[in-house]
Amino acid sequence: MKTEQKIIAFCCNWCSYAAADLAGISRLQYPASIRIIRVMCSGMVHPEMVLHALAQGAAGVMIIGCHLGECHYIKGNEMALARAEVIADTLEDLGYESERFQLSWISSAEPERLVDAFRNMCGRLAVLQSEQPADPFTEA
Amino acid sequence: MKPKLSFEGLHACSGCEMALLNLGEQLLALFDQVEIVHFPLLMDHKYGEHGEGGALSLPKADIGLVSGGVAHTEHLLVLREMRRQCQTLIALGTCATHGGIPAMRNEWSIAETLRTVWAAGTSDNAPVPCPGSSALDRVYSIDEKVTVDVSLPGCPPQPQLIAAVIEALIQKKSFQLPQKSVCDACPTLREGKKKAPAVQRFLQNADYHPDQPVSAMRCLLEQGLLCMGPVTAGGCGGKETPLCLRARVPCRGCYGPVRSGGNQLLDMMNGLASNGIEYRSLVDRKSMLRFSGAHGLLKPARKKQ
Repeated sequence: MKTEQKIIAFCCNWCSYAAADLAGISRLQYPASIRIIRVMCSGMVHPEMVLHALAQGAAGVMIIGCHLGECHYIKGNEMALARAEVIADTLEDLGYESERFQLSWISSAEPERLVDAFRNMCGRLAVLQSEQPADPFTEA
Repeated sequence: MKPKLSFEGLHACSGCEMALLNLGEQLLALFDQVEIVHFPLLMDHKYGEHGEGGALSLPKADIGLVSGGVAHTEHLLVLREMRRQCQTLIALGTCATHGGIPAMRNEWSIAETLRTVWAAGTSDNAPVPCPGSSALDRVYSIDEKVTVDVSLPGCPPQPQLIAAVIEALIQKKSFQLPQKSVCDACPTLREGKKKAPAVQRFLQNADYHPDQPVSAMRCLLEQGLLCMGPVTAGGCGGKETPLCLRARVPCRGCYGPVRSGGNQLLDMMNGLASNGIEYRSLVDRKSMLRFSGAHGLLKPARKKQ
């Protein structure tokens, strides 16, 4: 896998960011391509932020929020869920593979699941990288 | 000495030039204040490699207007020459600012486009006549290629606004371009409740009474019509009702995104989804970028293996 590919992970302050913290304390290893951006709620991640990350060269984007029903702000992650469906569909329209986007629910007590989610995403993007032509404008 | 005005059209339909000429009596007063040095639509002027010098050359000007996007290498040469010769460069019209209708071809590769255009219907095997086509890989807005001082979107831009900007530049005054969305000037009734969970197609008629003014009509988006108003820059009707709404049809999105870096497709989908509208009922989502396909927004679909 190319190490220079970057994955932007928007982590909710109340769950997955704490899980990432716990993963660090527990010395769990995860790929170096992950770049965590802390947000107050997964519901605040506008689709344009996801698109911007991809347009600036990120290989993939993850939004990680609290389990449904456990949102710190009651319904923020439901908003994230509604938006995630739109993002996945629209990315294909805009010329990106929908596999480049991932929405996950991880609580603050689940660092292993977080690391698994990171690893899965990296693996998926590595497969994607290996099977596609470099420039979409060159004729296949 | 009067300031010099230069007006060049690239990958465009001359509609923006017509919009300026459509100014009415104001036009005479405006043309009195400037010296037009280059305006191919109005006056014959040989330039380019068939011109006098043998090489492309344009006259120097204080104000340069460019309509149309960049789709061919010739456009690029002319645009760069315009930039070199003009002190202030105005991108006029949505093609120049966001790619416009011609940028819809960015949905396909140039090879696919040529094949579709030349080998159609009964002449499926017709060869593409010009293999050395000067077409670029995609259609660019002019700000992707040169520095632009003022961006005036619109298809076409509102004549009064073009005149106001040119006059402000002549008098070296500052000016304010509209920064709000189409909805800001739209007088239709918003009740905050959606009527239909699905989105109807553009050819569906809105529900209104012809004898009553637009302000008595319910918001078209709330009626279930796909109105691009919320994600489209306003100004088409001046301070009055937006133009399409006057004709009781939904906004098509011709002024491009509200913020220059915006994405009309993504913003509209986000808006529909957060309001619980069944966005999957849309037949052709990509067409929401019909006016703003440059800046790399419209891309050929990647082929799945």
